[in-house]
Amino acid sequence: MNHGSSRVHGTREQLTSLSATSLSCKAPSARSIGTSQAKPETVQKVSDIVREQLALSADTALTAESKFSALGADSLDPVEIVMALEEKFDISVEESDAQNITTIQETADLIEDLVQKKPAAQAS
Amino acid sequence: MVAKLQVISLCRSLLRAGRKYPDYNIREYTKRRALDGFHMNKNLTDPSKVKEVYAEGKAQLEVVERALKVYLAYPPKTKNIMELKVQ
Repeated sequence: MNHGSSRVHGTREQLTSLSATSLSCKAPSARSIGTSQAKPETVQKVSDIVREQLALSADTALTAESKFSALGADSLDPVEIVMALEEKFDISVEESDAQNITTIQETADLIEDLVQKKPAAQAS
Repeated sequence: MVAKLQVISLCRSLLRAGRKYPDYNIREYTKRRALDGFHMNKNLTDPSKVKEVYAEGKAQLEVVERALKVYLAYPPKTKNIMELKVQ
């Protein structure tokens, strides 16, 4: 009896631990369209380039949620910003992707997505 | 009627094409001139005028791409001093 119940208990434990892993871990999938959150360093690098491009003073508050339009950017500034980011991170941003970004967080997410996809392409 | 997206797309194409030049001077010039050109005309409202400058931009894009092929055939042998990192 004891032996039997411990086996069942063991299986249940395994099942619970499996479901716990799948619920808590958020693996960065290559196929997701920029839905994973970017690392703080990436956000910082993006912020630096945005600050430089828009000629913002050092004390202008720049958060991840800052919208380009709110920072005084016109419609051509994101083009320059994306170009600078392409060079800095050695990636290539598609036209459709570039048109959809409006905040610093979105930009950082997209960049991380592209950086992650890059080594896979080079390895194959 | 030229859409805003088309204009942005043209700007991006010009910048991308200019980036490929092996010569530092031309690379910097195309980037500066493209951005200046778009900034100069960004407040135009008359559709026919917009169409005119858009066509001008497209023609310039063709020039850049054509000239690029020639310049790629004869890349400079040494790096421009402006491209060298400060020691």
